[in-house]
Amino acid sequence: MDKESTRIVVDGLKEAGIDLVVTLPEEPTHSVIDETRVDPYFTTVTVTAEGHGLALCAGAALGGRDCVFFTGVAGLLVGTWALAQVGMVYGAPFTIIASYRGDFSDRTGIPGSQLLMFRQVLEPQLNMLRIPYEIINDPAKLKRSIKGASVACREYGTPIALLLTGDFLS
Amino acid sequence: MNRFECLPLLAEMLEEHTLTVTSLSSNARIWAGVWDRGPTFAGLNMGLCIGFALGLSLAFPHRKVVALESDGSMMEDTSVLISVADANPTNLVILVFDNESYARMGATATARGADLVRMAQGAGIRSTGLVRTLPEYERAVRDALAKPGPTFLQIKVEAETARVPDSRTTYGPAMKEQFLDRVLSHPDYRGWHGG
Repeated sequence: MDKESTRIVVDGLKEAGIDLVVTLPEEPTHSVIDETRVDPYFTTVTVTAEGHGLALCAGAALGGRDCVFFTGVAGLLVGTWALAQVGMVYGAPFTIIASYRGDFSDRTGIPGSQLLMFRQVLEPQLNMLRIPYEIINDPAKLKRSIKGASVACREYGTPIALLLTGDFLS
Repeated sequence: MNRFECLPLLAEMLEEHTLTVTSLSSNARIWAGVWDRGPTFAGLNMGLCIGFALGLSLAFPHRKVVALESDGSMMEDTSVLISVADANPTNLVILVFDNESYARMGATATARGADLVRMAQGAGIRSTGLVRTLPEYERAVRDALAKPGPTFLQIKVEAETARVPDSRTTYGPAMKEQFLDRVLSHPDYRGWHGG
């Protein structure tokens, strides 16, 4: 993610009141984590597996703390069990920001067979888990989407995913 | 030592606003019968209890959060211990009630030598302990509640021989609503920012 997009994400999190950042590092979003880790506004937790990372977000969110989980498509697939629990069973309200590998503009060097798989499974998976999502390919719209997701996740009573594609993956 | 001795004793040791989180099965059912004060999120499925408690500890940093975990659920995702050590929440107390079995479905690896305390130590958690008797348990838990953590205790208990009955608030929506009611009225609740 380039510098400008990184700044948009960090500012968007602040405007949404999200001060707890949970992540399992992945390439497109690591620049955001580099920023939140040195910014005293945020608490940044790097977890070692998606399942307990998502459970962490659920505990924080149901305890009243606004939080975001950064991951990629693979992370969402690995976290399916936890998402089914904290989303479908408990309706934990937090925002997920995921890089959406598999976009036609994705030139990051990941083998095409993997990109195709990501493209084929992610959205059916989110639909199956009843997780609302929005695909964002324009950095200018992202700040508004973060704020919208952070409010809607509480009103809906569910995690909400923002899938970053296009220029975000460069 | 069994959970019917340990959990009522734990309830006596907690102050009223302590937050608790439990794994499935016996921990959830027995705890629902003995603790009716602070917010409790009960019955989290396999591998999710400690992660959830870690999140809650970050939402309530000035209050003890106690995770009542079990050996089978703990072993579903032992890497959470690394995340706990890395996040280093001083208010988190992890109690793993280890009956060396999957409910009534056979032995877990802790019956064959898996050492959860050494795993916690290897993950970087400095305050750890293994307890086998009720006096050891009481002393270790009081110590964990009084000192900064995170603390990890592996507590050897006898396997239950019968299923403990559920209460209405052991699992699911009723449990969650009760949890949220208590969170919202908790003196440390800071609320969500709301954008």
